Amino acid sequence: MLQILFNSLLNGAIIAPPAIAFTLMFAILRFPNFAIGAYITVGAFAILYFNDMLGWPLVAATLAGMAVTAAIVWLTDAIVFRPMRHLPSVTMLVVSIALSLILENIVRLLFGGDVRGFDIPLMRPVKLPGLRFTWEQLNIVGIAALATLAMHGLLKYTKLGKAMRATADNFTLAEVRGIGTARVITATWLIGGALAGLSGLMAGLDLVIEPLLGWYLTIPVFAAAILGGIGSPMGAVLGAVCVGLAEELTAEFLAPTYKVGVGFVIIAVLLLFRPQGLFGQPEIKK
Amino acid sequence: MSAPALDAAPVLTVAEVYAGYGRGDIVKGVDLVVGAGEIVTVIGPNGAGKSTLIKTIAGVVRPRAGTISIGGRVVSGLRASQIARSGMAYVPQEANVFRTLTVLENLEMGAWVLPERVRERLDLVFAHFPVLRQRRGVAAGNLSGGQRQMVALGMALMVDPKVLLLDEPSAGLSPKLVGEMFEIIANVNRAGVAVLMIEQNAVRALEMSSRGYVLAAGQVRLSDAADRLLANAEVGELYLGARD
Amino acid sequence: MTVYLVSMLTYVGFFMILALALNLQWGMTGMVNFGIAGFYALGAYTSSLLTVDAGWPFVAGVSAAGAVGLIAGIGVSFLSVRLRDDFLAIVTLGFAELVRLVALNEDWLTRGPRGLPIDVRPLSDVFDRDGYGWFYLGIVMLTVAVAFLIFERLRRSPYGRVMKAIREDDVVAATLGKDVLRVRVQVFALGSMFMGIAGALYAHYTQNISPEHFTPTVAIFIWMSVIAGGAGNNKGLLIGAGMVMTLLEGTRFLGDAISFLDAEKLASIRIIVIGVLLILVIRFRPRGILPEEKFDGARFGAGRDAANGGGNP
Repeated sequence: MLQILFNSLLNGAIIAPPAIAFTLMFAILRFPNFAIGAYITVGAFAILYFNDMLGWPLVAATLAGMAVTAAIVWLTDAIVFRPMRHLPSVTMLVVSIALSLILENIVRLLFGGDVRGFDIPLMRPVKLPGLRFTWEQLNIVGIAALATLAMHGLLKYTKLGKAMRATADNFTLAEVRGIGTARVITATWLIGGALAGLSGLMAGLDLVIEPLLGWYLTIPVFAAAILGGIGSPMGAVLGAVCVGLAEELTAEFLAPTYKVGVGFVIIAVLLLFRPQGLFGQPEIKK
Repeated sequence: MSAPALDAAPVLTVAEVYAGYGRGDIVKGVDLVVGAGEIVTVIGPNGAGKSTLIKTIAGVVRPRAGTISIGGRVVSGLRASQIARSGMAYVPQEANVFRTLTVLENLEMGAWVLPERVRERLDLVFAHFPVLRQRRGVAAGNLSGGQRQMVALGMALMVDPKVLLLDEPSAGLSPKLVGEMFEIIANVNRAGVAVLMIEQNAVRALEMSSRGYVLAAGQVRLSDAADRLLANAEVGELYLGARD
Repeated sequence: MTVYLVSMLTYVGFFMILALALNLQWGMTGMVNFGIAGFYALGAYTSSLLTVDAGWPFVAGVSAAGAVGLIAGIGVSFLSVRLRDDFLAIVTLGFAELVRLVALNEDWLTRGPRGLPIDVRPLSDVFDRDGYGWFYLGIVMLTVAVAFLIFERLRRSPYGRVMKAIREDDVVAATLGKDVLRVRVQVFALGSMFMGIAGALYAHYTQNISPEHFTPTVAIFIWMSVIAGGAGNNKGLLIGAGMVMTLLEGTRFLGDAISFLDAEKLASIRIIVIGVLLILVIRFRPRGILPEEKFDGARFGAGRDAANGGGNP
């Protein structure tokens, strides 16, 4: 029981930062960005590059990897999405799916399809009655908590954060009131990329690093964001934990292979019955 | 149809503006002027293009032809976010507050282009709407309809505008609140802010206005002093029908 | 060489059926279906399992595949066609992935990732190997022709006009009294039925199917075909399907020319090329690569005007 809870927290921790990124992107840029999973993959491999190939310690590699990911994500907007902003959101979704495949395969070309891991000292797992974990896993949960706090602080107390919340709430009104939406959009991409990069670290620590890494996380991230309510970053975090729990329960009582499918079921149920999720604004149905 | 002569210099000039969405034009060659400190009301039947007109002036919709100037400075073609600095503040009819932000945050957002005077403007807005001061920590989405309208208007006032564009300020309000809203608009106007508004509550709006325009099918049909419009039997029959 | 061409044309044929079906659902009626692989897989596994495990004849297997595709289509569309476009895409994609996961996991039935070998083929002892290739190509092309004819007839019929009205603005269509939900479910199910049939034909041709044949990449390829040909344009997408297949196969020859690229790298390059092309087409020629034969109002390009009911761009 305790193990299931811990695993749920762990799953949730990995998808919480990208869920925040995704929900902000969706609310501010107004389309579901399927490439979020690919961004995570890029993040994991960027960190891998600094850590494994350049030999940097993991912390430094992570910071560098996050920066690189943020830059790449911003670049994909500049090259791909920005010229198409006036197109309907389903088109942007299709483009983001294509982008996702492109990014994944570029990573595959550069790094090969083999499974990799970060260059860190091996540590023995901690075994308590009813609970077994590794220090990495504990770190992951801690990092996710910190990132969530940081995002909360940013959004609640900084001028940029408030502008992002306002823009996510009502884009046209934000423009009318003179809020620099272009800057908000740039910040969204950069912050989103950094969060995806961070998730790359966590996913790489807990799971295996391979080009398909992000693909398996895309749908849980979607599900978490929709569950939390599009536009609600803290809702996304709560959604992430719930999705993590659902995945664990599915793995426990059904079969581990179906873990990936839970996200889809959650999304379908939400979209059909309560598209605004927990904290979102109801306006998602046609 | 030329506008009647103004006593004061125009603070907003709309000249031969055409605008629309998609294929056709909804606004077809409108001329309109608002003088400093005036209240001007635009009335007309549904579908006349009043909302589109005001959105075009505000920069939400791009004009296809014609010019819009504020205090002599041409703003047509500028993005809405740039127009916000021009001395004009627009209050949309719907979705006019940030529902997930608190009242205070909403008003802060209103002052985005004027950050150095936030404190002073806040005091002024709270003076107009004391209940907002009490509820300043409440998310705007949890306010009543009337209070939300106050927040919407308050946001616009935060930039110390020279002219307010109001799209149906009394929409959805109970009769008592309608009276309060108009009184606040009158107060704001007395402090020197010009007002251009669209109103279905045509009679009450005209009663407090100096001039009015009647818009139908995208064009100005009549432009006259407000009291003369009120007295005009034809106008009364066609456009001033009881609509509370 | 001819054998190779015949084989390639057969594979193009499968694409064509899928693309025609997708066009019926999206190009003509405005329903965004990303779950193509799901119906394809259902058809493939249905026919395979019935013929291999239960001894059914080929024709019965294919018919069953169509029936399963139809029923699945009814289910999926009934639940989800009221969703807005991008969410409908995600939900249908989810359906396809769930089908794939079930195929992967329930290997007691489907043989999972090991693959399901199918040795049942119609008239396999009548023709020699080369001749059989032509024969099967004939079957596939016949199916393409049947689908094409049915869908084109539908498009020009009063029913087709209802479909178009729904695509343009379903709110308006509903107020005109058309039973929007019913038409949508019917159209979607008709499309998914053909996707199932295509899956069956595919399975009996390749003689070995596994879940990895039915990944979302399939959806990308089919969407590419439809977009390249221009939404709503049935003739166009046939050419579009041909183009996509040529692209895929062309990169195979590229691999022969450039020796340092192994099969895996080639597969990656192929997907990158298709992905980039898809984005380029959407960006620069959303109405399709081919010259427009008739203004059909492709929806990928211009945004929908909410305020102005008439005059789509």
